[in-house]
Amino acid sequence: MSLQITQLLLSAQSADGRVRSAAEENLKQFQEQNLPHFLLSLSVELADDLKPPESRRLAGIILKNSLDAKDALRKADLTQQWVNVDASLKVQIKESLLLTLRSPVSEASQTASQVIAKVASIEIPRREWQDLIGRLLTNMTQPDTPATLRQATLETLGYVCEEISPQDLEQQEVNAVLTAVVQGMSGVQESYKVRLAAVRSLYNALDFAQTNFENEMERNYIMKIVCETAVSKESEIRQAAFECLVSIASMYYEILGPYMEALFSLTANAVKGDEESVALQAVEFWSSICDMEIQIQDEYDGDDVRSSDGYHNFIQRALSMLVPMLLETLLKQEEDQDQDDSIWNLSMAGGTCLGLVAKTVCDEILPLVMPFVEGNITKPDWRSREAATFAFGSILEGPSIEQLLPMVHAGLDFLLNAMNDQNSQVKDTTAWTLGRIFEILHSSNCEYQVVTPANLQRIVSVLLEGIRDAPNVAEKVCGAIYFLAQGYEDAESDSSILTPYLGQIISALLWTTDRTDVSNSKLRSSAYETLNEIVRCSQIPETTNMIAQLLSEIMNRLGRNVELQILTSEEKEKQSDLQALLCGVLQVIIQKLCTSDDTKLIFLQAADQLMALFLRVFACQSSTVHEEAMLAIGAFAYATGHEFVKYMPEFYKYLEMGLQNYEEYQVCSISVGVVGDICRAVDDKILPYCDGIMSNLLKNLSNAMLHRSVKAPLFSCFGDIALAIGENFEKYVPYVMPMLQGAAELCANLDDNDEEMLEYGNQLRRGIFEAYSGILQGFKTSKAELMMPFANHLLQFTEAVFRETNRDDAVTKAAVAVIGDLADTLGPSIKLLLKNANFHVHFLGECFSSEDDQLKETALWTQGMIGRVLAS
Amino acid sequence: MADEESTLPSHRRDGIKSSVHNIAAQRRRKHAITLGKERREVLIRTKRMCIEGLANYNEESLETNMLIDEEKAALDTQTSKIVEDLKSALRLQGKVPTERKVDMLRALRHLLSKTEIPPIDAAIRADVIPALVQCLSFGSEDDQLLEAAWCLTNIAAGESEETKSLLPALPLLIAHLGEKSSLPVAEQCAWALGNVAGEGEELRNILLAQGALIPLARLMVSDKGSMAQTAAWALSNLIKGPDSRAATDLIKVAGTLDAIKRHLQMGDNELATEVAWVVVYLTALSEYALHVLAKSEVVPLLIGRLAASDNLQLLIPVLRSLGNLIAGADYVISAVLIVGQDITDRAISALVKCLKSENRALKKHKELVFSSEAASFLLDLLSSAPFDIRKEAAFVLGNLCVSPGDGVRQPEIIVNHLVSLVNNGCLPGFLNLVRSPDVEAARLGLQFLELVMRGMPNGEGPKLVELEDGIDAMERFQFHENEEMRIMANALVDKYFGEDYGLDE
Repeated sequence: MSLQITQLLLSAQSADGRVRSAAEENLKQFQEQNLPHFLLSLSVELADDLKPPESRRLAGIILKNSLDAKDALRKADLTQQWVNVDASLKVQIKESLLLTLRSPVSEASQTASQVIAKVASIEIPRREWQDLIGRLLTNMTQPDTPATLRQATLETLGYVCEEISPQDLEQQEVNAVLTAVVQGMSGVQESYKVRLAAVRSLYNALDFAQTNFENEMERNYIMKIVCETAVSKESEIRQAAFECLVSIASMYYEILGPYMEALFSLTANAVKGDEESVALQAVEFWSSICDMEIQIQDEYDGDDVRSSDGYHNFIQRALSMLVPMLLETLLKQEEDQDQDDSIWNLSMAGGTCLGLVAKTVCDEILPLVMPFVEGNITKPDWRSREAATFAFGSILEGPSIEQLLPMVHAGLDFLLNAMNDQNSQVKDTTAWTLGRIFEILHSSNCEYQVVTPANLQRIVSVLLEGIRDAPNVAEKVCGAIYFLAQGYEDAESDSSILTPYLGQIISALLWTTDRTDVSNSKLRSSAYETLNEIVRCSQIPETTNMIAQLLSEIMNRLGRNVELQILTSEEKEKQSDLQALLCGVLQVIIQKLCTSDDTKLIFLQAADQLMALFLRVFACQSSTVHEEAMLAIGAFAYATGHEFVKYMPEFYKYLEMGLQNYEEYQVCSISVGVVGDICRAVDDKILPYCDGIMSNLLKNLSNAMLHRSVKAPLFSCFGDIALAIGENFEKYVPYVMPMLQGAAELCANLDDNDEEMLEYGNQLRRGIFEAYSGILQGFKTSKAELMMPFANHLLQFTEAVFRETNRDDAVTKAAVAVIGDLADTLGPSIKLLLKNANFHVHFLGECFSSEDDQLKETALWTQGMIGRVLAS
Repeated sequence: MADEESTLPSHRRDGIKSSVHNIAAQRRRKHAITLGKERREVLIRTKRMCIEGLANYNEESLETNMLIDEEKAALDTQTSKIVEDLKSALRLQGKVPTERKVDMLRALRHLLSKTEIPPIDAAIRADVIPALVQCLSFGSEDDQLLEAAWCLTNIAAGESEETKSLLPALPLLIAHLGEKSSLPVAEQCAWALGNVAGEGEELRNILLAQGALIPLARLMVSDKGSMAQTAAWALSNLIKGPDSRAATDLIKVAGTLDAIKRHLQMGDNELATEVAWVVVYLTALSEYALHVLAKSEVVPLLIGRLAASDNLQLLIPVLRSLGNLIAGADYVISAVLIVGQDITDRAISALVKCLKSENRALKKHKELVFSSEAASFLLDLLSSAPFDIRKEAAFVLGNLCVSPGDGVRQPEIIVNHLVSLVNNGCLPGFLNLVRSPDVEAARLGLQFLELVMRGMPNGEGPKLVELEDGIDAMERFQFHENEEMRIMANALVDKYFGEDYGLDE
């Protein structure tokens, strides 16, 4: 077997496709026939120094992939598989893995360390393999351990820490791990690779060091070693050390005080003189400090945070030195940068950090940055001009509008002129800064106006010229137009000063979407999204004609698109991306047209044609298109109302496809929402489709593969259907009620410590209540008694939710409403139940003391309903 | 075979200079999904608000407003058109036949009573009040007076500000209550004034100053049932206080007492109900009126009503009047409801009658003293009757236990009444009231608990209350939105269950 598996592993990497797939097939068979033995063979292969490195490498990878997967369900399966393997075989495999760490072939030992971590992630939380840490530490404490083994051991410790959580280790073990790691970092005689492995392990182990960081002596020692490591002679080690400091900044913010001076000079030196990879981490250290201080400020929410114990004011205290250091970084632009969003270099990191500093200290940043802006913005060197503009754009969020406004007024004209700069990067940053000004300071309702009737014309003409510039500049201009339009969103009058320019702007945006000199799709997406914002924020009726024209243009474009005969898969993808964008525009237009009866006519005239287009798009089968087209259908259904029934026979097929698309859960989720939209549009005319829809919804609820975020909308959807079809919902009761009760039970058993689970729990609770509310209200007039058997359970569940400390406002509202629905629907027959479950008195009391008027209103209604029952 | 190589973590945040399309698309999709959720809420709220029998909720049902916006706009236009027509007709004094004006007024009156949200504001904006005042001028034909008063009645039924807009019309409305007016006109004017008086103290004082009381009191004497009923209703609105003078003045108006007695004796349920409310306010507010009524035959008449009727609307003011009378005047307990007297038996059988309507088995123990006899029935009422009756019974029972106070000192407790009631098991009933969301009922309950804890012999009151879970019931008020209740409950808990409680044992 051993020979055979070596050959299979080699063949599986063959250049010859047939040989490769045959070998892969054989390996798969082996795996399926006898998994424990298969795993053992792989571990033996990996451990054997006589085997070729290629086969050992693949053995390690397969082994690792047999223990862990990204998909949570698959991962759970794999874990169970491993747990089921015979204990003695598992011991053999683990021994063989530990042995591999000693291999002089670094590829093998590194792979083994990762596999060990995966096994540890399964076993250590189950209190198995308890001697792993001890045995690894022995490698470090025994004299004469070869450097390769010390390196592999440290790497293994790091990976293990990454895989498990702090409560899985005893403090004693943590102490020993930290000691070994810190010794590995500081040992003078240690090789470069051992020290690098040590500092990287420390990064993963920091999370375990809570207790050690609470102890001043240990903390001083760890900090001293990390700081020393941050000036090692090897840049990779320095970078890793700074990564540790970044992590420490957010994990142990509160104890950083005594070290800040040293950390400042350490980071300042790195930013000034070190390699970019190190300098980036040094800047990131300060960004993390900003994150922490902003977060604490948010928690204080307006109270004087500066006087609080937990707030150390690090940024403000370092401000006079920190800001000049960051401004320096802005001058280190790359030539021809910013063709790509994902660009990340020192000047970008510096500008980002500067923005965070502005958010942290507000007005205080201005006197430190404005001289730099003024001093550099007219210099002949483009780097100076770009850096000055970038600095200005970065600090606009944070300082008060009163402080900023004079500066923006003084600088706006200059910026508009700078859109003619000969350097493309300067124009790019200028357009972005204009966008930031509009985003942050421009609102038609604001007392202070940045954009006035006097300067609007000039602004628009500069932007419309700029949109014809290089693609990267044009994209930033789109952003500026987007936020310019957004400023008129809440205009109080029914006329906006932007309206006269909208015609030109829309043409320019449409022209931009057609540009062929663009290598990627970002500009096109930006132009379409800007178009959407313009439609959304426009004033009806004065823009009615324009929107009507745009509707027919977009419909034409979509019509041409679905007609395309497709040749390559690349073109197919392009076609489908464009469909998504066009459906997005249609959704926004439909939404807008439905805000008034006059404009709704325009939509209704186009409705049949629109639906025909959407059906063509659905027929193209692409997940992203489904998503956008489904959203458009939601708006469409609301707009057509009862008339939507005539589209159902043809549309239903695609609705069903959407509901069944559990792999692409967003599509599924939106489709579930569309069922609700249709219910509200057509009422009981949805009845003929309900059996099909309900069976899909129920199937989805019991599908473990469906993303859990869809579950709550599924429950709400039951409520929508019940509300629409009233007494006809009776036949679904035997299926739906157990689901609701099961979900209610699940809510009680969710992990309270997990933020995501809390959020999920709240969504689920709300969904369950919405389902009950819809069903109760749906049955009210004729089938109320059907709900009698569930009243007690519902009250108990509501009481449990009432006592739940983590419930959010939406859940509260849904819960208090459902008690009212219960009283409203079941009336005197639940008098006794309500009398016994008098938690509602406290619950209502809580609601009445809320600030939320809608909640108070609902509570008042519920109180009325309860009162009626109790007085009956 | 693919490798899921784990790469070293590297800090990398989103740059500040990002392009717009990502966040924009996300925002747009989120917005679209939110819209669906909002529409769901609107729909279900509409369904919830679409219920009858919860009158105080009408102003809250915002959604119905939305749905009938269009209809409302049409009504508004129609209304202002008619008001304009009416005004121009009035300008051409005499040249337009009365019938024409009456037609316009009738149309306006119909509009003003139309739908849940009548176009009152539109009418007022169109300056309808001066026109209507002009229509009320002396010497106008009855039809015109009637319709104009009716329009004003509908306007007065509106929002507070709308009611106040009637100010210029009040003198004429009061004038038309007089003897020279035809009954339908007088009745309509009384109705309008009743609406105005119901609005609040400020308008009540204006009406009293303008002399509305005496003509209304005279109208209550009327033999025409609906006239007397409307007048009684308007009067009870007018004397609601808080000032007690109007009540005292009313009972002094010649014929009032007789009218009350006559209507209580012979009036139909509706009339008796309104008159009983007048008695409620008279006995609640005016010491003088209380004594006059206590010594009249009103008590037996009320008991007679109690015996004869099972109409909830009527029983409420009757029970409350009796409660006021028993609480306020020693005379009633000491001289009217004496053990062995016929009237006492009738009182008991009246209460029995109340119980009969609840179909409960009855036990008659005629030889028992009134307090415990009536009390036991009242106790039954307290534990089982409809909520409103229960409240009234509690009120009577509570008053049975105290001698009328002078408003300065705490009322003195009649210990044997209290003991007898408590021994008959009234505490749970009162505690139920304490737990009720109805503030008034809860107050009655708390007041009774106070009596028990203060008045039961040997200080066993607090223990009894505790045994019935009374502490819990009172602690619920710790965060009650009604400040008075909160303070009352907290003070009781502090006083009787504070730090020292239970130390003696």
